[in-house]
Amino acid sequence: MSGGSRVNRIRAIAQKEVFHILRDPQILVFALGMPVALILLFGYAVSFDVEHIPLAVVDQDHSSESRALVAAFTAQDLFELVAERETAEAVEPLLRRNVARAALIIPQGYSRDVHRGETATAQLLLDGADNMSASIALGYANSIALAQSLGRARVQLGGFEMPVEARVRTLFNPRLESSVVLVPGLMVIVLVLVAVMLTALTVAREYERGSMEQLFATPVGRLEIILGKLAPYFALGLVQVLLVLVTGVVLFDVPVNGSLALLFLIASVFLLAMLMQGLVISVVTRNQMIASQVAAISTLLPAMLLSGFVFPVDNMPPVLQGIAHVLPAKYFVDGLRGVLLRGNGLDVVWLDLLAMGAFFAVMLVVATKRFQRRVA
Amino acid sequence: MDGANPDDAIVQVQSLTKRFGSFTAVDQVSFEVGRGEIFGYLGANGAGKTTTIRMLCGLLAPSDGSATVAGHDVGRHPRRVKRAIGYMSQKFSLYLDLTVEENLAFFSGAYGMHGPRRAERIAWALEHAGLQDRRAALTRSLPGGIRQRLALASALLHEPALVFLDEPTAGVDPASRRDFWRLIRRIVRGGTTVFVTTHHLDEAEYCDRVGLMVDGKLVALDTPPGLKATHVPGRVWAIEGATKAEVEYALKPARQAGQVHAVQVFGRQVHVRVTGPLADHDAFLAALRDAGLSHTRLEESQATLEDVFLELVGRGRNGEEAA
Repeated sequence: MSGGSRVNRIRAIAQKEVFHILRDPQILVFALGMPVALILLFGYAVSFDVEHIPLAVVDQDHSSESRALVAAFTAQDLFELVAERETAEAVEPLLRRNVARAALIIPQGYSRDVHRGETATAQLLLDGADNMSASIALGYANSIALAQSLGRARVQLGGFEMPVEARVRTLFNPRLESSVVLVPGLMVIVLVLVAVMLTALTVAREYERGSMEQLFATPVGRLEIILGKLAPYFALGLVQVLLVLVTGVVLFDVPVNGSLALLFLIASVFLLAMLMQGLVISVVTRNQMIASQVAAISTLLPAMLLSGFVFPVDNMPPVLQGIAHVLPAKYFVDGLRGVLLRGNGLDVVWLDLLAMGAFFAVMLVVATKRFQRRVA
Repeated sequence: MDGANPDDAIVQVQSLTKRFGSFTAVDQVSFEVGRGEIFGYLGANGAGKTTTIRMLCGLLAPSDGSATVAGHDVGRHPRRVKRAIGYMSQKFSLYLDLTVEENLAFFSGAYGMHGPRRAERIAWALEHAGLQDRRAALTRSLPGGIRQRLALASALLHEPALVFLDEPTAGVDPASRRDFWRLIRRIVRGGTTVFVTTHHLDEAEYCDRVGLMVDGKLVALDTPPGLKATHVPGRVWAIEGATKAEVEYALKPARQAGQVHAVQVFGRQVHVRVTGPLADHDAFLAALRDAGLSHTRLEESQATLEDVFLELVGRGRNGEEAA
């Protein structure tokens, strides 16, 4: 068999697959609309940055010192003054009704204590029902209080040098903005959904319709079927990578510090691994309904929970860590963030590439084995 | 009349057997198909027709025995077999979400065709299916009969010497079935051999030779007239104006002599198949008169392949019970 007709056969299958995709607008809406919808949702609505914490203030001291403390809290965007009350009792309903998440209570005598050089106390009430916001607010409050104390100490002692000072500089994402971290992480969700789900469906569909038997009756080889059927979804996946990347850069200022070619290489290897996983699922289940469920569970959960997209893998129980280290999602997120944010090169990400490549190879072997064993 | 010349056989099957676990779907089947023949493969659902076809098309490896199709061994060189034959499966033939032309483009490409020959064969197929004006129509929108014609045309795109059709007329209306068979005869005149399975016994009459499968075994193989002569001998008389009970009463002596083989009711007629003296028209009429059936009308009818089928399947079932 000449190489020419092999190419013709693969092309014929790929072309047919493109027609299937074009005939079913839902596929394109799913494949191209969902990435944009997800990125807007995660980029804007789901934010792990805690800012503008609504703050209620009870200033019973009415002094310039107490006003200075309130000003210190609200100077940055961290706290936002939403209400002022005269008594501590009056702010509790505000916390209950979610009008305020924190309340600063400055008792009478605050300025007197400050001037006497005694420890001046102010009380901060936090809403622990939202523990994430509360702990961040606590951090902010502590650092504000510390700054205030140091300021006063310096005045009282007539200036001195800090005994110890840690100078923290955050590399790669200096403002610690979560959107910058999330957007590349989103890529993993978008790619697994489309790559695994769509390939699982398209191959299972051929079994269900009985067309797989008709395909097997032609001289088209199994590898040719695999290549032809997966090629359009591979291309679609790369379009999604581009889409997510452009949206991230334009809307959320996601930096691209590393090489774009390397980024697409990482995405390609990940895509191949995912396409193969979809193929394995469909060859084993041979049923669209079951295939889509298995695809959703076996990809979305690891992508969301085990990739390090939201939760750091290092903090997981050992069993979950083990699973995370087998699946490609973690390596993809690692590699991608490395290239985008840290500007890493091949010398760092080769391990991620290798791990994803190994997964791809195992899936390819399983898929072709199962494909061959169960004819017609 | 039985058995094509081996040199001229395009399909040669020797003790072909397929077992699935402990179940034997095809049991030691042997036959040959001559070039240019319409070979009918008959049997009830589950008799082993599709399993046989799948082995002959290189889709399933035989458990035992051998088969050569278009000169290639199906077990050893399935891919060569696939290149040489056309196949229209029972369950599926075309992609319904693709247009007529896209389907043809796909199947020609799947057979590695390209360039001018591909375009030429697609044009041929469109003409063959009478779809020149509807090449851009979605296949889903075509009526079942036309879809089957298109499927047949797409199985012939690469000009195979032999085409396997597995239940091609299942679920097609009678008029379209007749058109489809006209098409089959046309492609056979063009030199293509046709191997067709069906459970429509009237369609089997169109075949040059018919093989009959019962429970995985090939129980009969002959031309349709040959099958009838062997398995349903005698003449069939159609009687009008008498009930089945009356006719059976009148023929009691002959039945006891083993000369009455079947008594069946067809509408207002009673059909009786007889051998021996009663095969004579006047003798049969006299037998009825003697029993007091004087107002009956008598005409000759024909045995059908259905009679052959019932005869053979009945025998198979009895044998099964005895065992």
